[in-house]
Amino acid sequence: MESTGDELSINGKLKSSRVREFVAPIPLLSWLLGALVAVALEHYIGTSFAQTLGLRKAPMLFGFDIMLKQPTLIHSALTYLVLIYFLPIIVVARLSAAGMNGLAAILIDYPLMLTVLIHLGMLYAILHWWSNMSLYRADVLRFTLIAVLLTLSLNLINGYMGEFSCSHPGFMALGAYASSVFTLGLFADDRVFGPALLPQWLGPYLFPVALVLGGVVAAVGALAVAIPSFRTRGDYLAIISLAFMFIVKSLIENLEFVGGPRGLGDQPGWANRPVVFVTVVLGIWIINNFVRSTLGKALNAVRDNEMAADAMTVDTRQTKITAFLFGAFWAGVAGGLYAHALRYINPGSFGIQMLAEGLAMVYFGGLNSVYGSIVGACSISLLGEMLRPLELFKWIIIPLLLILVMIFRPTGLIAFREFDVKKLVRPKQASDR
Amino acid sequence: MKKFVFAAAIISIFAACLGVCAYAKGPDVIRIGVNAPLTGDIPKVGEGTKYAAQMWLKEVNAAGGIEVGGRKYKVELVIEDNEAKAESAVKATTKLITEEDVLAIVGPQASKQAIPAGGIANELGTPMISPWSTNPDTTKDRPFVFRGCFLDPFQGPVVANFVKSEFGFTKAAVLYDVASDYPKGLAEFFKKAWEGLNGAGSVVAYESFTTKDADFSSQLTKIINSGAQFLFTPQYYNEVALIVQQVRQLGWKKPIVGSDSWGSAETVKLCGKDCYGSFFSTHYAAAGAKGATREFIDRYQKAYGYVPDDVAALTWDSVRIVKQAVQNCGKLTGDMKTDRKCVRDAMAKIREFDGITGKMTFTEEGDPIKCAVIVRISDKGEFEFYKSVCP
Repeated sequence: MESTGDELSINGKLKSSRVREFVAPIPLLSWLLGALVAVALEHYIGTSFAQTLGLRKAPMLFGFDIMLKQPTLIHSALTYLVLIYFLPIIVVARLSAAGMNGLAAILIDYPLMLTVLIHLGMLYAILHWWSNMSLYRADVLRFTLIAVLLTLSLNLINGYMGEFSCSHPGFMALGAYASSVFTLGLFADDRVFGPALLPQWLGPYLFPVALVLGGVVAAVGALAVAIPSFRTRGDYLAIISLAFMFIVKSLIENLEFVGGPRGLGDQPGWANRPVVFVTVVLGIWIINNFVRSTLGKALNAVRDNEMAADAMTVDTRQTKITAFLFGAFWAGVAGGLYAHALRYINPGSFGIQMLAEGLAMVYFGGLNSVYGSIVGACSISLLGEMLRPLELFKWIIIPLLLILVMIFRPTGLIAFREFDVKKLVRPKQASDR
Repeated sequence: MKKFVFAAAIISIFAACLGVCAYAKGPDVIRIGVNAPLTGDIPKVGEGTKYAAQMWLKEVNAAGGIEVGGRKYKVELVIEDNEAKAESAVKATTKLITEEDVLAIVGPQASKQAIPAGGIANELGTPMISPWSTNPDTTKDRPFVFRGCFLDPFQGPVVANFVKSEFGFTKAAVLYDVASDYPKGLAEFFKKAWEGLNGAGSVVAYESFTTKDADFSSQLTKIINSGAQFLFTPQYYNEVALIVQQVRQLGWKKPIVGSDSWGSAETVKLCGKDCYGSFFSTHYAAAGAKGATREFIDRYQKAYGYVPDDVAALTWDSVRIVKQAVQNCGKLTGDMKTDRKCVRDAMAKIREFDGITGKMTFTEEGDPIKCAVIVRISDKGEFEFYKSVCP
């Protein structure tokens, strides 16, 4: 019995190494090209192909909905997935690997910015085409991207700074309300704020100002948590930040001019796909630079041992306060995007449930890692959406997954990994691991 | 070899299934979306919505479907869970409209989900009817959005007038949740109406608390000491039980009056004897109902084992309004956009719709003009019809 077990494991290892060998020489450009071909395929023949398979429409969100609601159609959904997504991506990526490696090798001599922009352009084209299939996909995409930004800003404090902050929904609420008041007050004929003060066409151009304003207000609010954080650590800071979240919620509930518990609605829908995409990419880029800078390293030093960091001439106070305000700023920006994507906010939304979701995304994806935040936010948001037909069981499956991750990878799926753009876009050799 | 056989088997199953299992959806199907809070804070509301809609579906399909312009259409329900969250309600509405191709949507129920979801439905030109949302913003400036219940600005005065004419009281106490949209709005409308009747200062205690509070003794002591003659508390069923039990323990024997949020099957179960004899305004009364209402209650109770609450009754009326509108539309072209517009126009034109929660006619905003019912919780714990108040 033992020998067969060994054989099996060797066999398994052999297989996985074969897969790895097959995948190793494929650069990111080829993957993107493959995905582009897949979404193009779906765009042009997806609907008619799905109908020949007996589906009503191209399966949304990778067919999960159909598989869970109508088990008799599982094979059609799977066939669709394999033929439209899986095969084209693999085949195109593998076939174009050689050419794309050459292209990547040429691009590497140009400034990194150019390469990155080409990659991002392709990524946006993929997402755009994919989400053009229906408005629902576009909505899921927007809210997932916003979740990425929120998770990243939370990771900054919970992962990089090593404190347990519970105030992020509060920061997000501040950002959402500040930017909504700005746009509603200036550009919309609103019941609360009266007629528009500035012409409509100016609005989209000033939307970045609204977002920055949201971020700044959130950062100012963060001072209330940052100052006590000089004196307390660990559990106590968690309590203070939790209290802050409730203070913000109660404050907004009692502010009649922003609608109180009724909420604030009819924000202009300026947070469309390109705006959200650009803002989130910008956020990832700036946060990534921040955590890889001297300040970011100082932050890690404070987390690992505050006294030692102090002895090594790190100004711990300044480091902590900067990180806190910085994290809060991006949470505020995410809140501004959220308000203008949903077009309705009420204080009840920014409560414990949102906190729990944000924390789940951070810890699922991985602490101290930009990769982890992206993976965590995407997987939790998409899982939540894909498992929706399961109703109550969804709330059992997702926490169960979280528990499993915590058992087998206590710091999250991809923790403590640096997000090195240069490494990501360079050409690959077969020997690379 | 084994592998090859395995692969061949899988492929052949797939190929065989393609021919056999694949079903082409005929054009003779009408899809209706239901957007309900099946999980989250108020699962009982979601359950009532789902059950009422499914009961309706069974009835309609047993009769061969909806007849439009001489053709019978089968009906399919697409039920989506909105987790009692605004964001999810918007996603669910978008999904129903763009992915599921529904002709009309019933729900969401609570205002905090119905307001943003109504915005999307209106933008995408799909008729939506919220059975239970009482916030004016849900339908305001939204031609495609309707509702199945009366509004808070109507309910507040109804309660005030009822208490005035019934007991002749002059001093009122109000206890409400300041952090929740519905109780706060209703408390304000009631206060305004009461002070209109009895002059300024006649609301002698106007106390508030925050959602999920469980101890109300300090507010209740203030209310008792204020010399109020009755207590008005427009809260949800779980809080009603706590408030009423606590105020009775403190020795308060005067009447307690509530609003339509009391009308859940859970209220009496949680509250017990302390609630007996209280009054509340609502959409319909289960005990002592007659005619079509009785029939609905009996069928519901037989199928699901308990007396339907007002959410179920309003959902029942709403799906029937949708059916009526589809029938009145006269002709379905198969083009979603025209059909949805046609259903919307038909719905707006409905006059004197004979619902189990009263006769309804929509105003221009899409709000129904209908009567409210005052219910007394009887000594057996049943919701007993007491009085009907019409606008």
